[in-house]
Amino acid sequence: MISRKLGLFGRLLLPAALAVGLAVPTAQAQQPKEVKVGLIVPLSGLYARPGAVMRMGAEMAVDRINAEGGIKSLGGAKLKLVVLDSGDSTEKAKNAAQRMIAEEPDMVAATGAYLSSFTLAVTEVTERAKLPMLTLSYSDLITQRGFKYIFQTSASSAAQAEQSLPVILATAKAAGANPKTVAIVTDNTAASVSSVKPMRERLLKELGLQLVVDETFTPPLADATPLVQKIRAARPDLLFFLPTVISDAKLVLEKMNEFGMGKGKVPTIAFGIAMFEPDMLKTMSPDLLDGMMGAVGSWGSKGHEEIIAELKKRYNEPWMTQNAISTYADMLVIRDALEKAGKADREAVAEALRTMDGGPSRYYPGGKIKFEADGRREGAGLTIIQWQNGVPVTIYPPDLAMAKANWPKN
Amino acid sequence: MVDARAFLPIAIFAVVYAVIAFSITNSYYQLMMTLVLVWATFGLSWNILSGYTGLISFGHAAFFGIGAYTTALGQMYFDLSPWLLIPIAAVLGALAGLLIGFPTFRLRSHYFALAMLAYPLALLYVFEWLGYQEVTLSMKHENAFAYMQFSDPRIYTLLALALMIIVVLISRAIERSRFGMSLIAIKQNEAAAEAAGINTLLWKLRAIAVSGAIASATGAFYAIVLLVVTPVSVFGMLISAQALTVAMFGGVGTVWGPVIGATILIPLSEILHAEFGARFPGIQGVIFGIAIVVVILAAPEGLFWKGQEFVRRRWPRLVARKRVKLADAAAPSAFPVPQPAPFAVRANQQSDPILSVRGLSKSFGGLKAVQNVSFDVKRGSILGIIGPNGAGKTTVFNLLNGFLKPDAGSVVLEGRDIVGWPPYRICDAGVGRTFQIMRPFPRLSVTDNVTVGAFVHARNDSEARRLAEQAVMRVGLSNVADQIALELTTKELRLMELARALAGQPRLLLLDETLAGLGTNEAAEVVAVLRKLASEGITIVIIEHTMHAMVRLVDRFVVLDHGAVLMEGEPQTVTRDQRVIEAYLGTKWSAYAQGR
Repeated sequence: MISRKLGLFGRLLLPAALAVGLAVPTAQAQQPKEVKVGLIVPLSGLYARPGAVMRMGAEMAVDRINAEGGIKSLGGAKLKLVVLDSGDSTEKAKNAAQRMIAEEPDMVAATGAYLSSFTLAVTEVTERAKLPMLTLSYSDLITQRGFKYIFQTSASSAAQAEQSLPVILATAKAAGANPKTVAIVTDNTAASVSSVKPMRERLLKELGLQLVVDETFTPPLADATPLVQKIRAARPDLLFFLPTVISDAKLVLEKMNEFGMGKGKVPTIAFGIAMFEPDMLKTMSPDLLDGMMGAVGSWGSKGHEEIIAELKKRYNEPWMTQNAISTYADMLVIRDALEKAGKADREAVAEALRTMDGGPSRYYPGGKIKFEADGRREGAGLTIIQWQNGVPVTIYPPDLAMAKANWPKN
Repeated sequence: MVDARAFLPIAIFAVVYAVIAFSITNSYYQLMMTLVLVWATFGLSWNILSGYTGLISFGHAAFFGIGAYTTALGQMYFDLSPWLLIPIAAVLGALAGLLIGFPTFRLRSHYFALAMLAYPLALLYVFEWLGYQEVTLSMKHENAFAYMQFSDPRIYTLLALALMIIVVLISRAIERSRFGMSLIAIKQNEAAAEAAGINTLLWKLRAIAVSGAIASATGAFYAIVLLVVTPVSVFGMLISAQALTVAMFGGVGTVWGPVIGATILIPLSEILHAEFGARFPGIQGVIFGIAIVVVILAAPEGLFWKGQEFVRRRWPRLVARKRVKLADAAAPSAFPVPQPAPFAVRANQQSDPILSVRGLSKSFGGLKAVQNVSFDVKRGSILGIIGPNGAGKTTVFNLLNGFLKPDAGSVVLEGRDIVGWPPYRICDAGVGRTFQIMRPFPRLSVTDNVTVGAFVHARNDSEARRLAEQAVMRVGLSNVADQIALELTTKELRLMELARALAGQPRLLLLDETLAGLGTNEAAEVVAVLRKLASEGITIVIIEHTMHAMVRLVDRFVVLDHGAVLMEGEPQTVTRDQRVIEAYLGTKWSAYAQGR
């Protein structure tokens, strides 16, 4: 008896809850001269900060496109940015994507979703809805599923692993150096270990580099002295440094400075974008970071000065990371695809993306604005950046470099 | 007849839910309809272990993740269909449950909860280390049905509904059988359950195996819905928390709890996310958190129990009517009074000891609680154990029924040495026990409380029920048989405990201060019941302080002092003994005993 009453109570609540959801304005008044593009990124939780930066890039690009007269082949239709929070879990990302599909049937393309696992979940939805989706996520899996509506603008993880060493050597050569010996200092977290593995096993040998120091530590590090002494004794031409915890990075960098190996005297390459975010300056002085290099999917570079200035002025961001510039570029690619398609239709936009050849890429490093059959951008390259005077600047490739590499001659 | 009434709400729920699911065209709401059921089912799996046994698991993501990776990897490497992989996941989940349960059930309460926390976290790192950071279920264009890939999302809702209904039925079946009774007994009082003949470890292992199987099957289905499996998304802390949240919000220990919890919380969280996520990022988490805190404060045991309480208070007739009906049914004494073997004259049996204790000793550190205690209990007799506080009386009982293991000595029950046997086995061998501090299962009815004790010798649930009803009648509690233990008086509780011990069909009853806290008249009533039981042939060993009653009840006394036997003999001899008077009784007692 009682349970039946409560069962009824429970049963009444779901429709009520759904009704609240349905009360959300699902379809705005139709404005013919507006084309909806989506941005689905984490705006809450652990990854909210990169998501917010991606949003800045998207807003700037959309404003620019609209200020320049919108989509000309659509009679000057304006772009309308629809922002969705992919939250902090794969499930929430999938839900957000499903909501985007359900509530924005006239959306023509979207970009997102920062973390590879979120992008994987989101594209499972967009693929079925035949909505073209651009992404800066690296995971190879994203473009290995035979999907037809996904376009990956960054070099994939595997491609980056293959490319990064040659590109770093090329950067060294361009600066007049010729590295022969390598040190690896890494913590034992999964991501670090998997990045180092191919280097140890294969890549260093293939490039004729000799591994002279190979140190793995468990975070948190109590004292960096023994590590740094080993580096000093070996004096490698290159140091690959893979900390996960910022305090560990700080300890090692402080010791290196103390031992006279800082400021690029031992060229140090850090992995991942985290070491080059503005947040770093909250915990470390620019002095410590000076000279540290990194390989990233893209970065605010030469030719982007106006955008970087706008970002600074409008959002008070000191420099333009991959998240902002890539998302900015995604919007321009969507614009070009819309121009080519000549109609605000997702299938037409997808087809335009598949067939377009936008020539050399201006905003992503290397290659062209052209996608291969699996959705990867043709010739997608890497950007090498270096902390110089408190700002990470692009030092390679030469056509994007904003400064010369600070590299000791040997 | 009971069954039809029990299944009706479930059937109504299923039909209404399916109708709603089919009337929704928005694919996003359809996904929500599916996820509500997934999390409700996961909550139900948690409820089977933690809701019924009270052992809180913070680690149900371990099973969930195993299931999710079973579908993802099974499809990736072996190209198996989820129709096959979901049952496989259930088997793996059950095995994982046993593997986890066996070592972890050594721990109790919060230690158990914390230990459970470790398993999914460990698995998370194992799967990262194995290189399964991201696994996707590939899209199948051909043979979509075999791979559970439907273009119509409503089919997922129907599958989830089917899964949930199966789990609800399993939960119901458990709740109503000796399985559920045993788990609830464990939750309410593990020691009493053990003494009532329940092999607690065995039942807990069964519970975690069933729970793990369901959680794993749910995870396997979840992977089909989400299509992407990452260690964090299936082994993460939030997944374990999800099971706790929906169950605790809705109501712990009832099938409706997780269903109510998921039905409210999952859409609420999503609506908040959809409404505020892009505009005020993060605010959804704050509102959601506050909502949960408020509800938990207002209804700490969950909405279901709060609602039940409300119904009881608002419409007491609903509850009352049920009780009257049962009382009516019980009135015309449908049960045959058990006909014990004719123990006409107790004295005749006295040559045959049912229990023989020799040289029993137990120390706790330096304290010699029991030293070299020996005595015999003759079949059909009533033996009283007396002595001052701290004399070791209860310790002797704990040694006799297996709660404690003696350092030395033997306890021979009907020719078998039972030293080292676990309590449930000693109970099975025919020794019933009650406690000085009463150990009722407060939320269960009197009959249910007693039924827990009946399972030990019952072949099936209905026989247990019958034995319980007999025992309730033997102690004279039939008129309150349907009340929950919480509502009983002290005397009724004592009698109920007695009935619980009786339901196990013991030949020897160990009664620990059964008369404590009772008034003279009440004590007399209980004594009358004990006399009746003795006359029916049950041997009784009783610890008691109430000497008025004792001298009239027992055939022999064993007097303990400082853990050792001070003397043994018939009441008249013992109460006149100078040493006993000095150690325990005080002088006025000798006068009383002489006047007897």
